[in-house]
Amino acid sequence: MPEVFIDGKRYEFEGKPMLLQFILDQGLEVPFFCYHPAMSIPANCRQCMVKVGTPVKDRETGEFEHDENGDRKIRWFPNPQTSCSTPLQDGMVVHTQETSEEVARAQKDNLEFILVNHPLDCPICDQAGECPLQIQTYKYGPEGSRFEVKKVHKPKRVELGPRVTMDAERCINCTRCVRFTEEISETNQLTIVQRGDDNYPQTAAGEEFDDPYSMNTVDICPVGALTSTDFRFKARVWEMNQTPSIDITNGKGCNVDLWTRDNEVLRITPRENDEVNDYWMPDAGREAYKLFNENRADRPSIKLDGDNQSNTSWNNAIETFAEVLDAHEADDILTVGSPHASVEENFAFNKFFNLLGSSNAKFTPDVIPGAGDDFLITDDQAPNTNGCRAINLDEADSNSLQSAVSGAKVVIILSDDLVGREVLSAADLNDSYTISFATNENDTTNVSDLVIPITCIAEHAASYVNVDGRIQRSYPAKETKYTNRRLNLEMSEGRLDRYGTNFDNWVSEENKVDCLPVWQFLNKLAERINLDFSYNHSRDVFADISEQFDMLSDISYERMDEENGVQLPIKQEEVKQA
Amino acid sequence: MAELSFTEEELKEIEQLKAKFPTAKAATLQVLWVAQRKYGHVEPEVQNLVAETLDVPKSHVHGVASFYTQYYKEEKGKFVLDVCTCLSCQLCGGYDILHHLEEKLGIEAGETTDDGMFSIQSVECLGACGYAPMLQVTNGVYVNNLTKEKVDTLIDNLKNGKMPEFESMAMPELEKRNQAASE
Repeated sequence: MPEVFIDGKRYEFEGKPMLLQFILDQGLEVPFFCYHPAMSIPANCRQCMVKVGTPVKDRETGEFEHDENGDRKIRWFPNPQTSCSTPLQDGMVVHTQETSEEVARAQKDNLEFILVNHPLDCPICDQAGECPLQIQTYKYGPEGSRFEVKKVHKPKRVELGPRVTMDAERCINCTRCVRFTEEISETNQLTIVQRGDDNYPQTAAGEEFDDPYSMNTVDICPVGALTSTDFRFKARVWEMNQTPSIDITNGKGCNVDLWTRDNEVLRITPRENDEVNDYWMPDAGREAYKLFNENRADRPSIKLDGDNQSNTSWNNAIETFAEVLDAHEADDILTVGSPHASVEENFAFNKFFNLLGSSNAKFTPDVIPGAGDDFLITDDQAPNTNGCRAINLDEADSNSLQSAVSGAKVVIILSDDLVGREVLSAADLNDSYTISFATNENDTTNVSDLVIPITCIAEHAASYVNVDGRIQRSYPAKETKYTNRRLNLEMSEGRLDRYGTNFDNWVSEENKVDCLPVWQFLNKLAERINLDFSYNHSRDVFADISEQFDMLSDISYERMDEENGVQLPIKQEEVKQA
Repeated sequence: MAELSFTEEELKEIEQLKAKFPTAKAATLQVLWVAQRKYGHVEPEVQNLVAETLDVPKSHVHGVASFYTQYYKEEKGKFVLDVCTCLSCQLCGGYDILHHLEEKLGIEAGETTDDGMFSIQSVECLGACGYAPMLQVTNGVYVNNLTKEKVDTLIDNLKNGKMPEFESMAMPELEKRNQAASE
């Protein structure tokens, strides 16, 4: 197998990898800015320079030539090479900054050039803390600059588009954003304008950067030049806590990270998963953080007189629920599951009412034909349509659901705004007693007689099956009134979470929502009506699911974690609009 | 501005230009010249027209046009005086020439006189360091070895509609070498 010597250590390689990517794959480090594994290699930042040589071979015999010590003779390239654009060759010898003074010096000097016109406004820059330029200047950069002349000033606040704001001074012209619009989103909206030390990325005159994937350029920007208009100046990176999760705004299930501070989700960024979304996610998915913070169903609410809802206690909610169940035959109760809720929620919900004698819950897919593209935006607006199918819920279109509702005396809806998305009209629910399990207040909860607030994806661990049949799961990222980050080993702690006390001005109880996971509420309800139903954790629910359904039999949370989600043997069905 | 478009003839010329290159994108520079000859400038609308004609991204054409000072991104005067202020000219008094011109015409670099006759631009190296300081008139003739007097004459001549003539410049070193070779 071909071999390469990096910093005196021998590695074997296959195929034709580029040197930088190979070095990174070995867990070693060479600083770089413009290189991105998903895009073409321009080698324009010049930061990843290394010393490279190839062994000298005798032309006639093809044997390696050796020096007097018996070592292979190496013919060094005359200059340092950018490792990102150097293909590996058999026998190649590489010295990075770790073993070569010359390379360390070259990288340091290059950084000095990159910083000539960089404003160094790190104290007010959103990128500080997660900035490759900042990190690499600390590690490999010069201690100061020899350039004492005034820096070139460029536009400081340019609204490139509705979601991206640019600070042209900070730009180092790596062209990652330009290449993103050329190669990944293919809208070609950005280019580099001007030249020399005046240049920066810009759209064509009179156009705006309204690419549906525009905010990915904010993520890949190696400096603070492109910032999210929405997240700008909201929080420092090191104050936040990062929890892996899944995008719930469409059917693709992009892998994301939720960034929380004091139990408020402040931003959502994509998490790499080659099988699903690579490094990217649509802008729409990033807006979902508002769903987790704002307009939440908080405390149970009940309709007492006329149409006025008022908050009530959990005890009262359970009591009312139990009374409604007592007063009606199982046949009169219609349960409606939800493609917007997780597999566990749907299963627990369905099982509970199965035990009471109801038939399987119905559900209506949330599909807008033509809304999707060939990339990460799907026609399917819900994250778990295939999950509902996998546990054999009863798929119903709008009409059949309407007729089922009209025949029922009690309608129990799991986390789905059926009125808001016009599957049902408010009038359809007039004649029945409507109970909604809901994460957010919406048109459906407004017409419901009893609203049970439940946890959203940011508050529980649960799994979702995407349009391609891949099952992936979330972790709890924000506390509810009834969970505690320090006791729940599933939750991670950010700096402020760990060191904060109730006496600190950054700690507030207000961001904790008064809600319960569906299964926990159903536990309480089961206890009240003496039903044999109890799940302590979504893990228990999932264990039951994998026991019951062959397709999910060898799947567990551990496997989903290790493999970054598991592909189920599901053929993608043509999803019809209900 | 009225709807812009190329005439049949111009489109034919553009087709010929495109045929010279492997991709339409490569013909951007040439087609921008066609557009600048027609309109006298490549304002954003003209850039977009070029992009549409070539079927390349508008941003690409914008990037190319903004790179070169030779493309006028706004309407310029009848004569555009590109004064070189790059290293060699700067050392030989390029800025003195620029400031003299600015004073004489009453405008700053980058501006156009009210009568629309003259624009001044401060530009980078035009490759004539041997005869610094120098300037170029409307992407054409070079005026070399400038002095303030020479600039004054140039302006007067231009006002009378008299373009400076092409000046063949001697390169002393090269001449010496050629001479030595012939001997």
